Amino acid sequence: MAYPYVSDREVRILSKYFGDPKQRHVDTYVERGGYKALEKALGMGPDDVVDVVKSSGLRGRGGAGFPTGVKWSFMPKEQRKPHYLLCNADESEPGTFKDRELMRWDPHQLIEGCLIGAHAIRAQHVYIYCRGEFFEANQVLARAVEDAYGKGYIGENIFDSGHTIDVTVHQGAGAYICGEETGMMNSLEGKRGEPRIKPPFPAAVGAFGKPSTINNVETLCAIPHIVANGGEWYRQYGTEKSPGTKLFCVSGHVNKPGNYELPLGFPLIELIEDVCGGMRDGNALKAVIPGGSSVPLINAEEARACSLDYEGCLEVGTMLGCASVIVMDETADIVKQVRRMVDFYAHESCGQCTPCREGTTWTAQILRRIENGKGTEDDLDTLMEMTQNMVGTTICVLSDSVAAPVQSSIEKFRDEYLALIRRGERMGVA
Amino acid sequence: MSDVPFKNPGWAGNTGEFDLTEEQVRGDDFVGERPAHGGHASGAATMPFMLPDRDPEAPLFEGEYQERFEKILTRYPDKGAALLPTLGLVQELRGHVSPESMDRAAALLGLAPADVRGVATFYTMYNKRPVGRHLVQVCTNISCNLCGAEDVLAAFLRYTDTELGETSEDGNFTVIEAECLAACGFPTCVQINSRYYENVTPVDVAKIVEHLKGQSGADQ
Repeated sequence: MAYPYVSDREVRILSKYFGDPKQRHVDTYVERGGYKALEKALGMGPDDVVDVVKSSGLRGRGGAGFPTGVKWSFMPKEQRKPHYLLCNADESEPGTFKDRELMRWDPHQLIEGCLIGAHAIRAQHVYIYCRGEFFEANQVLARAVEDAYGKGYIGENIFDSGHTIDVTVHQGAGAYICGEETGMMNSLEGKRGEPRIKPPFPAAVGAFGKPSTINNVETLCAIPHIVANGGEWYRQYGTEKSPGTKLFCVSGHVNKPGNYELPLGFPLIELIEDVCGGMRDGNALKAVIPGGSSVPLINAEEARACSLDYEGCLEVGTMLGCASVIVMDETADIVKQVRRMVDFYAHESCGQCTPCREGTTWTAQILRRIENGKGTEDDLDTLMEMTQNMVGTTICVLSDSVAAPVQSSIEKFRDEYLALIRRGERMGVA
Repeated sequence: MSDVPFKNPGWAGNTGEFDLTEEQVRGDDFVGERPAHGGHASGAATMPFMLPDRDPEAPLFEGEYQERFEKILTRYPDKGAALLPTLGLVQELRGHVSPESMDRAAALLGLAPADVRGVATFYTMYNKRPVGRHLVQVCTNISCNLCGAEDVLAAFLRYTDTELGETSEDGNFTVIEAECLAACGFPTCVQINSRYYENVTPVDVAKIVEHLKGQSGADQ
């Protein structure tokens, strides 16, 4: 009953119990040492917890990689209004499938992380904004919350510390944009999930107009381990600037796709060839998207030089994002796949900002024209210019996310576009 | 625990079996049973979409559903925030969220009807019109697409004898394309009502369709 695939190269901390349904029981979780870190954290002052997390160097796992401890320290030190902790479980970036697994296999790990986080930012209520499509994860999580209430790990006077923290699982309703932190706050308030202009930042005016912090599922899942073992322990994994382990979601043309927990800084090529059992059918590697659909593609040569940490990805001109490694072999049709990604953004644009609302739709239409063999070489310049106008001109970064795959694919796989434009030939089948 | 409004014991733990095998999780059985009365407010709309009761004249919520609605209200600092879970409950009962239901939800929550329309149309999971007993959503985004999702979609359309987005004549199936369902490592992922089917190939489709034909939506 091993989890679909495991590798001996992994360092399984967060994913240790993937594939073991017993872990969902609160009793099993406690037997295996669960909720000890919560007890320890509640015995410390909120600022001391923040210091431990700062010392670990943990960076947000939702994509931006902002240091978690620093983010927490932005919250007001004195409590004049209620504070909220939001857990971002609205996982919907194409290529990413780690949060769902974390929630359905080890819900109490997340709940414990949420509670410690809530203590650190002086919040009394945690909302776990879980993606609407995840009926199973919602149910597992709601059940785990219920069990934890029953055992007194959530609610009033936890571990006789005098602290009261409530947890609510909030089911979303299907909108990618609600994964953006201010969009999520609007959605939680029962509104359209349209992102808000910053400032004011969530730590000042967040959900329900109160100071709020939003953390990704994987970030919060790492918290109990860091609090239990200390910041130095966490730093033994990963690199100086990107410490710790990270779940890598590998999908596409590899023999063993799946979630692999590896120390940051792991070489991308070893992930593909060793951990994931190599390319499907022994085909040649064509392109990799190392961080989900919102980051630039890299070609095979760049992939060989890429190490999977925040800095290593920047060196080859891409980003680690949420470490969703999409692997494409020689049969992949780059133009079609880029068009499919842009279709996604056109569908998910909330429509507030003109560059995004219009830009995503027109980019998709031009790409479709090229794909159908009716494009012109001028179209490539138009696409480059148009997507350039979509960077940094909108409230949130959804439209920037369109520019990344479009521009990088035109730069690196211009041949494929030209083959379609000049000869109507596709250079891939998938 | 019941004296604290946030605590609602009695979630699926009373009825559900939690020791599941890998096969059960990824295979035929959903995690635990899903009681109609809900239990924890957080569990709103984790139930099957379409219960037999689809009387449009009935009050928006009755009995157990009214209780669940009231539990939901206890979880948020203001009433308006309960809108998404409320619409989820509506859909669970009626299979879709009609304009009439939107207006009644607005009245229950003290919101402007236009606000509720705006919200209901923003989110893709609310069906704005009736759909088949089995709503089949095939992910065709990049990771699944690389591994043949379009063939799976075509197979579903062929075996259910429908056009994309249309409901089959027997009212059993509506097949639509979905955006990434976050199961990219297990392509192709297909969501049918509230369940995920992973690693679906065109060969599996005939079996899945045959299996579903014998079930009502509530069995899902």
